[in-house]
Amino acid sequence: MALVAVVMLPVLAGLALYALPRDDRRICKIAACGVALATLVLVVLTHGQSATYGWLSRPFTAAFHFSNGGISTWIALLLSLCTLCAILTCNVPRLRNFLTLMLLLEGSMMGLFLARDLLLFALFWDLMLIPVFLGLVGWGEHTATAWRYLIYNFAGGLTLLLATAAFGIAYGSTDVIGVAGLAHLGNVWQPWIFAGFAFAFLVKTPVWPLHTWMPATYADTPSPMVAVVSAVQSKAGLYGFIVISRALLPESSHAAANLMIWLGIVGLLYGAVVALVQTDAKRLVAYSSLSHLGLILIALFSFNELALRGAVIYIIAHGLFSSALFLVLGYVEQREETRSLLRLGGLGWQNPRIAGAFCLVALAALGLPGLAGFSGELLILAGVFQSGNISAALVALVPIVIASAYMLRLFQGLMNGPQIADLPIRKDLSWLEGLALAPLIAALVFLGVYPQPVASFDASSYAVHAAVKK
Amino acid sequence: MIANPYNSLDWNAVIPLLVVSVTALAVLFADLVARGGVKRVVCIAIGLAGLAVAAVLCAKSYGQSYSSFGGGFIMGGFTVVFEELIVLSAIFSVALYSAVGEARHLAGSIALLLWSAAGAMLMAGAGNLMTIFLGLELLSLALYCLCGMSRRTTARESALKYLILSSTASGFMLYGMALFFGATGSVSLAALANPATAASPLFLVGTALFFIGIAFKLSLVPFHVWTPDVYEGAPLPVTAFMSVATKAGALAVLVRFAYATLPSIHVREILLPLYVVAAISMLVGNLAALAQTDMKRLLAYSGIAQIGYILVALAGTTALGLRYAVFYLAAYLFMNLGAFAVVALMSTENEEGSRIAAFHGLGWRRPWLAAAMAFFLLGLAGFPPTAGFIGKVLILASAVGAGYAWLAGFLILGTAISLYVYFKILRLMYERDQQRAAPVVENSSALAWVSVGVCAIVTVALTFYPLVPSNIIPLVK
Repeated sequence: MALVAVVMLPVLAGLALYALPRDDRRICKIAACGVALATLVLVVLTHGQSATYGWLSRPFTAAFHFSNGGISTWIALLLSLCTLCAILTCNVPRLRNFLTLMLLLEGSMMGLFLARDLLLFALFWDLMLIPVFLGLVGWGEHTATAWRYLIYNFAGGLTLLLATAAFGIAYGSTDVIGVAGLAHLGNVWQPWIFAGFAFAFLVKTPVWPLHTWMPATYADTPSPMVAVVSAVQSKAGLYGFIVISRALLPESSHAAANLMIWLGIVGLLYGAVVALVQTDAKRLVAYSSLSHLGLILIALFSFNELALRGAVIYIIAHGLFSSALFLVLGYVEQREETRSLLRLGGLGWQNPRIAGAFCLVALAALGLPGLAGFSGELLILAGVFQSGNISAALVALVPIVIASAYMLRLFQGLMNGPQIADLPIRKDLSWLEGLALAPLIAALVFLGVYPQPVASFDASSYAVHAAVKK
Repeated sequence: MIANPYNSLDWNAVIPLLVVSVTALAVLFADLVARGGVKRVVCIAIGLAGLAVAAVLCAKSYGQSYSSFGGGFIMGGFTVVFEELIVLSAIFSVALYSAVGEARHLAGSIALLLWSAAGAMLMAGAGNLMTIFLGLELLSLALYCLCGMSRRTTARESALKYLILSSTASGFMLYGMALFFGATGSVSLAALANPATAASPLFLVGTALFFIGIAFKLSLVPFHVWTPDVYEGAPLPVTAFMSVATKAGALAVLVRFAYATLPSIHVREILLPLYVVAAISMLVGNLAALAQTDMKRLLAYSGIAQIGYILVALAGTTALGLRYAVFYLAAYLFMNLGAFAVVALMSTENEEGSRIAAFHGLGWRRPWLAAAMAFFLLGLAGFPPTAGFIGKVLILASAVGAGYAWLAGFLILGTAISLYVYFKILRLMYERDQQRAAPVVENSSALAWVSVGVCAIVTVALTFYPLVPSNIIPLVK
């Protein structure tokens, strides 16, 4: 019951915000923060629980089955932490309605990552598009971006839905996520079902060449929302690859492994190179995400246990540093009213605390040892190497070097260099903003030196033991 | 042989239908008696009360199975479910009269709407060709008058267009029935079910003509061109009623014909043209809806596509498929009539609120109304957490399971197109740059709000408790 509350609390409380006075920003924010904090606490308290309620018995069995354990717990923690930090410093017009969307977003994604039923997964998959669409429509810069986001992702959602229905018919049940030792779906449909799921996951992650919605979306979405979207929503696809494709459709996954690794490599290189020449700070981070997520895709389709553990660490690490990056960029944009690298410079002289926080986060993003990004990358590379795919491991090294280049370019462009005379001089990081960044940075450091808790999940339910030699 | 109908007169079977018809008379009578301001309230109240009684009586006979009037009317779970849906849509439509300013001849409108509902209910239980035609004409004749009941000039165009085209379709259907009779010497649907006659050319031509009549009533492409014009011109409650009840009646006839009459060995081939038409309807309906600037026209085109989805469920004429078709029809009823109720709440004294431009900025002006509209549109688009989502999943599963994966593909394609249709409205309602419009007198009809609320609650509830009627199939025949 408490587990259902984890999902329903943000949704219902988010809608209940409408009952608050429209113009009282303070009350609205305090209420939303309270809800986000309560959700975080609930996620911790319900660890290890699961809850099932019947749903469909025909044409296949489906249940409202939630479970808080394994990888899900870590992503749920990441989600609730990011949402809390993002809400804490939210400062947009029509705040109440925006906070409602943030909480709806949290609730829908929470449902997605705790769901143990494919149909339930598909339900939340579609549901989480709506808050982002409304956020883009109401607070974004161009309506076209909202359409691009929605059309790409809904197309993915539809193939996911069709694949779910076909899986249910072929298998008789959709209550199958995270169940260890499940019989495989031995069926001629398997490649088609795999294709339906894979398309949805590739769009959502996104993976080159289905990524074109992503830079515009990340640039246009208000910072607090994009911090959550880039940190957590982009992981839905990778999570799907782990718990659905690899675990339930292993034959097709193995058959498609080479293709996926190639797509990952192309995305990895392409994202890194394009990030080098971006002048919009948010777009730069968006392309760096494309690159990082490509690396995770390679790890997942190497079918190596070490790589899988590395991938999960990196999923969490990327969530932490990308949300922190977008939050900091949001603070900068709010102060200077631009985020163009051509316009900004020398902010560090006036705002040393922003510069310090930004420096730490950027270092985590480029994979400095001692911060969380590094432990993930190291395990992934070791795992890919161990799986025998030496060329992929070698190619994957290149973007890590490029990452240093674009991250340092971003940092130096914004914070270092001569001060630009006509930029307005603003206050440094406020204590509230510091409070929002502190847990993210602390978690980055902690996972950098001690990634063991995240990496020590029970891998048997994700079917890694069915490894094949390449 | 036609059995002597007087041998098996069982009035119990048609009690709900009679209640609805008599209520219509009561409304007309009340109009004579009541005076002044209460007239409107009394007429609507009597109409709703009568329909509610009919709904309860209907529900009571769920699970029974018998035929009366010499097989002319078949009572059973199937009939009951469809009658219930028709009565429900009539209830919501009558409730809308409380919100729409323009109501010349209110009592007459409500009475005609009730008779029209009775016609649709007759179609739902029809066991032979005569009853089908009787129901069809009762439904249509009342609707011709209803479409014209408005001061606007478009209403006359609407009524005339509907009259001419619908009569033509009825002619097709009647000719098909004549051919059936020629092929088998019987008007009973059960007696038609004979594999030997099913192969005869007379029967096949008759089936084709019969389908044309049905397709017109279901407004399937290419027999749909009347729909948007008629929907646009007709008064809002009538449009709401037509969008569900007419289709439910025609669908019931089609289902009975497909499941009980067509021989199972040929059914796939005979119904194939219908599936093709459904596939085209899903695409054309959604594509045409893209360009609309009037909400009623948009919902007309969206309804064309939605009926296409329902026909996908019937692919392969499986027992499960029928249940899901009924489930989706129910979901469609609540989502669609919910949307119509919102449109009714948008209307002012002089104008129905169906201009799409009027929805601009609604999210900031009337947040609750906009939220309700968004919710119903999400449902029609197949988004969770609405019955539209789960209904689509069930339909997809049934089509894939019956070996009609290509139809499922068309459904996905149609849904993808429909995304733009519905989210266009969402965007309008929640867009950033809003000029604060001048405050207008808000329509706040309590009955329409109740309709919105009930539709929304049921739409959510059906997601989590998909009540799929279980014992329909044995009762079709």
